[in-house]
Amino acid sequence: MIVGQRKINLTPWAFLALPLTFYLIWVIAPVVQTIGYSLTDYDGVTFDAAFIGLENFRLLFTDRIFWTALANNVRWLIFFALLPIPIGLGLAMLLNQGYQGSHFFRTVLFLPMTLSFVIIGQIWGWIYLPRAGALNTLLEFIGMSGFTRPWLSDPGTVTYSLIAAGTWRQIPYVMILYLAGLQSVPTDLVEAAMIDGASWWQRFVRVVIPMLLPSTVVAVSISIIDSLRAFDIVFVMTRGGPFNQSQVLANFMYIEAFNNYRMGYGAAIAVIQFAVTFTFIYLYVNYTMKREQAR
Amino acid sequence: MSTPIRLLVGMLVTAALLLAVSATALAAGQQEVTPEDDPAETELIINSNRSDPEPRRVFAEVVEMYEERNPDVSVTVNTFSHEDYKTLLRTWLGSARAPDVVTWFAGERMRFFAERDLLEPLDSLLGGGAFTDYFPASFESAAMAGDSYYFLPETWYWWGVYYRPSVFEEHGVDIPETWDEFMDAIATFKDADMIPIAIGTRYLWTTGGWFDYLNMRINGMEFHQELTAGEVPYTDSRVRAVFEKWAELVEAGAFMDDHSAYAWQEAATPLFEGDAAMYLMGQFIFDTAPDEVQDDLDFFRFPVIDPSIGLYEDTPIDGFMIPEKARNKEAAMDFIEFLASEEIQRYQAEELGRLAANVNVEPPDDHARKGFEMVQASDGVMQFFDRDADEEFANRAMNSFVEFMTFPDRLDDILEELEQERQRMQQ
Repeated sequence: MIVGQRKINLTPWAFLALPLTFYLIWVIAPVVQTIGYSLTDYDGVTFDAAFIGLENFRLLFTDRIFWTALANNVRWLIFFALLPIPIGLGLAMLLNQGYQGSHFFRTVLFLPMTLSFVIIGQIWGWIYLPRAGALNTLLEFIGMSGFTRPWLSDPGTVTYSLIAAGTWRQIPYVMILYLAGLQSVPTDLVEAAMIDGASWWQRFVRVVIPMLLPSTVVAVSISIIDSLRAFDIVFVMTRGGPFNQSQVLANFMYIEAFNNYRMGYGAAIAVIQFAVTFTFIYLYVNYTMKREQAR
Repeated sequence: MSTPIRLLVGMLVTAALLLAVSATALAAGQQEVTPEDDPAETELIINSNRSDPEPRRVFAEVVEMYEERNPDVSVTVNTFSHEDYKTLLRTWLGSARAPDVVTWFAGERMRFFAERDLLEPLDSLLGGGAFTDYFPASFESAAMAGDSYYFLPETWYWWGVYYRPSVFEEHGVDIPETWDEFMDAIATFKDADMIPIAIGTRYLWTTGGWFDYLNMRINGMEFHQELTAGEVPYTDSRVRAVFEKWAELVEAGAFMDDHSAYAWQEAATPLFEGDAAMYLMGQFIFDTAPDEVQDDLDFFRFPVIDPSIGLYEDTPIDGFMIPEKARNKEAAMDFIEFLASEEIQRYQAEELGRLAANVNVEPPDDHARKGFEMVQASDGVMQFFDRDADEEFANRAMNSFVEFMTFPDRLDDILEELEQERQRMQQ
């Protein structure tokens, strides 16, 4: 039947029409618009912006703040890809045992995930306060007053202090991903390995970890993308300060575009950020698609 | 369900959803028009950045007074934090549904919007010589862009070095009038294990006060004006001299060492608690001082560095503007006129301890009188670094000031970068 064959082509499109329209208006169009702005000196206030070609990008590449921000994004990326994964996996393994009270710990450990970045930034801002902040007070209490410092105003520690706050929220996220992943590890496989005389460690490394590969890919990808999105914590805790030492691309873009009324320059930063993020998203989607097809 | 019907249903659902969305949007659009249709009730929308408790309270009272006298007007005040307000104002002024009245700062900050035709001229109220009936002639330039008035001055205040007389007395320190006396005072407080100078640089602008005063005391106001207007290179030896004086303070350990971790209010706490001795700040520091400190908080004029240079002060003016796209300009003008009146200006000044812009309103108390007299005796006044200089440049520059306060050794690089930035802005 001709009509019957046509339905395969048309029905999905009919249903997709609405979301696609919205996607076009709210995702694709702004991306194109931003790329357009990045070639102008648009100030975000008046519409008499002039086309200046790649001038914004030329300025950007000679701007010391841009390179600081980019370097900090790389730091965020490295720590976000390395820290939450093993810690989240470890916690998931611990909580997966199902001993008494594991539900309680599961809830407690998951709680940071339910807080918005703004609240987390505020809480950690208090923890890091130089005078009477929780961290310095604790260090003094345990006799390590030599390690106290103004965590957020010391150019050497500020970025890592922010990353620590971000990691605190990322760990439970990864933990939940692994807890879900562990449910799908077939018990007979683990039991078979046990009967074959594999030690706990061998079972963990040879059976559990490979079975968790899909979860790991998701966790690493999400963490990398989250690290590139890092904005809220930086904005709330330091605004990129002191003197841009904790700047990241997203916050730099915000400050230039909305605080300094340099929409064109901000757009150029956004384009760079988009290109970097897009690379990782492409790798991730590519991997997932291949897996889907392999099934 | 057979396939063609399924297809049809799918399309119908899509169409229905689209209709529903547009219908909601239309309804929302219509709803917002209603107040204008109702002549009995005029709606006046004011967006305000007076988010500190005291100014917020006083402004709410003023609005209440206005509503009592104009029963046909209903006023809505939306208050935002200073930092948010700054980024939002631009959006409001450019949008088709702008608020009717907005609070803002005089000088360059107002001019940025006036030059882009985003503000309504206030000439019908202030033009034709009427300005000086209300306000001192010296405020005129800060309220104008081109030949028109765009800014209604309301209150203004002075900057000074704030301190607690009891703390000075306890350490036997007299009010420093010269740079040497100032450095001596700093040394005394340093020896007493105190923070000589409190400052919170997290939001950068507090450093602008230091730059302003050092530059005005070393190079005078004319040079300061040229510099903030972007006409002098930052690599100029006179600019370097400013930073060299600043470096003396940094090297003496005068500033609190974790200043960039604090907002200005947070940095004021050590001053109020007697751990810090001085704070270069505007009069609004009183808004945050606890009651028990209010009577023990005073200021002195920023010390003289070069006696051959006149005494200049920062006196920022706060006030109101009407957006060009305001929907209710008539009511907005009426409200602005109400704000300019002697009665309301006196009320605000008295409640806040600031100085009213209105010439007929005398300083509300002894403290304000002292500030007023200091300014009267000065040789000239500026607004403030980030109100006199271009906004975008000021932000970069103040970031550099914080960097300099942390790493004074980087001065050469910092000046070089500021100069590049200035040249870019001048293009």
